[in-house]
Amino acid sequence: MGKLKVFGKLTLVASMLVSFAACTKKQNLDEKVLNLVVASEVKGMDPIYANDLYSSNEVARVYEGLLEYEYLKRPYTLAPNLAESMPEVSADGLTYTFKIKAGVFFQDDKAFPNGKGRELVAEDFVYSIKRLADPKLQGLGWWMIDGKIAGLNEWRDKYSKEDVVDYSETIEGLKALDRYTLQFKLSKPFPQFLYSLAMPFTFAVAKEVVEFYGKEFLNHPVGTGPFVLPVFTQEKRLTYTKNPTFRKKTFPSEHSEEFASIAKENAGKDLPLVEKLVVNIMKEDQPRWLNFQKGNLDFISIPKDNFDSAVTPDNGLADTLAKKGISLLISPQLDVTYVAFNHDMDLFKNKKLRQAMALAYDSKTSNKLFYNNTAMSAQSIVPPGIAGNMPNYVSPFRERDLEKAKSLLAEAGFADGKGLPEITYDCPNSTVSRQQGEFFMKNMADIGIKVKVIQNTWPELQKKIDKRQVQMWGIAWGADYPDAENFLQLLYGPNRSPGANGSGFNNPQFNELFKKASLMQDTPERTAIYEKLNRMASEEVPIIYGVHRQKYTMKHGWLKNYVSTDFDAGQAMYLDVDLTKKAEDLDKL
Amino acid sequence: MNTWLYVLRKLIYTIPVLLGVCFLIFLLFNVFSPDPASIILGKHATVKQIEEVRNELGLNKPYFLQYLDIVKSAFTFDFGRSWQTKQDIWDMMKQGAVPSMTLTIPGFMISTVFAIIISLVVSFYRGKLLDKGTVILCVALMSIPSLAYILFGQWFFAYKMSWFEISGYESGFPYFIPYIILPVLIWVFLTIGPDVRFFRTIMLDEIYQDYVRTARAKGLSETTILFKHVLKNAMIPIITYVIIQLPFLILGALLLESFFSIPGLGGITISAVYASDLPVIKAMTVLTAVAYIIFSIITDVLYTVVDPRVSLK
Repeated sequence: MGKLKVFGKLTLVASMLVSFAACTKKQNLDEKVLNLVVASEVKGMDPIYANDLYSSNEVARVYEGLLEYEYLKRPYTLAPNLAESMPEVSADGLTYTFKIKAGVFFQDDKAFPNGKGRELVAEDFVYSIKRLADPKLQGLGWWMIDGKIAGLNEWRDKYSKEDVVDYSETIEGLKALDRYTLQFKLSKPFPQFLYSLAMPFTFAVAKEVVEFYGKEFLNHPVGTGPFVLPVFTQEKRLTYTKNPTFRKKTFPSEHSEEFASIAKENAGKDLPLVEKLVVNIMKEDQPRWLNFQKGNLDFISIPKDNFDSAVTPDNGLADTLAKKGISLLISPQLDVTYVAFNHDMDLFKNKKLRQAMALAYDSKTSNKLFYNNTAMSAQSIVPPGIAGNMPNYVSPFRERDLEKAKSLLAEAGFADGKGLPEITYDCPNSTVSRQQGEFFMKNMADIGIKVKVIQNTWPELQKKIDKRQVQMWGIAWGADYPDAENFLQLLYGPNRSPGANGSGFNNPQFNELFKKASLMQDTPERTAIYEKLNRMASEEVPIIYGVHRQKYTMKHGWLKNYVSTDFDAGQAMYLDVDLTKKAEDLDKL
Repeated sequence: MNTWLYVLRKLIYTIPVLLGVCFLIFLLFNVFSPDPASIILGKHATVKQIEEVRNELGLNKPYFLQYLDIVKSAFTFDFGRSWQTKQDIWDMMKQGAVPSMTLTIPGFMISTVFAIIISLVVSFYRGKLLDKGTVILCVALMSIPSLAYILFGQWFFAYKMSWFEISGYESGFPYFIPYIILPVLIWVFLTIGPDVRFFRTIMLDEIYQDYVRTARAKGLSETTILFKHVLKNAMIPIITYVIIQLPFLILGALLLESFFSIPGLGGITISAVYASDLPVIKAMTVLTAVAYIIFSIITDVLYTVVDPRVSLK
């Protein structure tokens, strides 16, 4: 009897477990829900702190800015968003006047009287940009407008010494001329200024909401955007719903030829196209991969370890996946990987040594080993897709040539590496970074140069670069905005560390040309200067170029209108879900 | 000694311990940690803004004042806001502690109860096939890396068999249950090996004591001997082992949380370490130290309950 009782209890426990286990969630096919994934924590929902890709994407689901990127146009083109049209720019390029759209309302929230969101006005942008400049808040996008708007730096400096910041004080370069007119006056020409108005840092927030929630404002996003997130918590899942008071915004008809079918099918439809948006935070590759295969996520970037099983050698999708209705999209990213020299060291002032090391580096094998042969060999610092990149240009110090490298090394005074000290190569502490370091070490050993690989946590590496305690290091740069200036500034002398020019490369001729180009509007003349700078950098070898990476994305057949972009902010409102197709495809998974 | 006096005296001892913990935090942060201002500002940091942020964070104050700030927050439990996420640290911990504990406490309880029962039984059969087989199985379980359990469990039971959720978490009872069953089972497999081996050693020490022979001579059943006499006498080392682990359960299980997307304290702590987020590191270290001291006191007091021969001095 006793044994039977024990057996009975065990059976009960087992059946409870199985019944709970059987409660795995079923897909909701009654409403259009987007299931997205991000690979890192989201810090919060305050636009002025959205300096990482993940946080800025989340911010942009709720908040909006004056400008945005055309969803279906490449190269990337700015378009008005909350602005009625592109701004009027004065002849001297210093004054930008925007008319903002009338009838745009903030989302309903208890911070407003009667809980009803009020209309957005030009003054909201004045307030939002002052918040970004507020010395007490230390907004992380300040770099974008630092020294650019007349009077704003003075305002910031003045209140950095005071206890309370006065937002009512008028700033010469930042004014609401009337309810719907906003005017910026720049202190010097800065053609990239418009890009900053498409970045979440400058998106519109309402003063009363900021004041109502105080320090908790970052957890109570209230914008004018297409989706509503009632409260932000540090969960691993954020659930947004369609903003019921979202203005009439329709799917764009403007498009590049490659996106003609999407435009034809959707132009004029009211946005957003889905009812709900679920953002899952999954840091590890395996759960992302398995959840996608199970249909719990609509699209993912292919994890490195799953690449071979998903993509065929000729860049096609594996049959097993194609049969499930999955498709593959390959698109270049606006980025560059490189190995930097510390130009503060006398050793690396020796140009022939830098050239020799660049020629000894086997970028083709590196691409094969670390990027599954998917990346593009970087011939210059500016990636394809933006003005200044030269598609047919081949750097003289790019492809591996050991004989020439040895000869240059001898000319540099270090024949067969004799007389050279051991050079340190610092890298982050991931396995791939270490392997890349070891590969670099092996490449250099082939011409007699000894390299020692040192791993660091990312903050440690950053600290060592700032304190000039590095000799060489592997790193990458992704575009903040689609302009060659954003890449060429990595070599601009005055930008030295802790600025973006970590290598400390400082060439007066390069600096002068860069400065000239950075003040010019987007013209063929400016593009010509960018190209000259590119060539100059290739000759000088201030850094050893790696690759421009490509994005490999897999998406399910039910996801419509997906377009790969480097500027994902706002993308979700254009995406659609075909529920019939989803029901069919889920059966195949 | 009166138990309350003993507890009070032990609590007074926490003051120098906390001062020492604060000094260690201060030392580690100021000597080894990268500049948090550079990390916060990221790739566009300028010298001027780094200085401004350092001023705002109080990093340009004299070292002694910085140490006092740490001491003050340790004794008032006012940890402020995270430098990295700007979130209130108590809110972060409240939000993180519950998911962590919904994973670690059931896992810990199940593995401890099973480990005690298994160790009692196998110690009774010492040297027999059951005992040898269990020891071999425990060593085998311990030899497999924790990542292997997680990767296999997630792939096979959640993806292939669809018995469990692959990852995720929903707050509130009973919504979180489907999400924690698999990680809890993996936790049990991860910890039961070393637990059984440890408890078996304790049981073996007891099972050869004279009182066991006496009990057998009196004709008591083996079940009564094992569960009433042996287990009771083995309780002191078991209590020490179990209770001292409790504070660490709150800290969560980093790998399991990460792979199963459970928003626990493990992930928060690691992110803080990577970002040199002093307020969060400070809060986690101080609270762990305090919890450790409190649970040590509870252990001491429980000794007197379990074994009346023990007195607090």
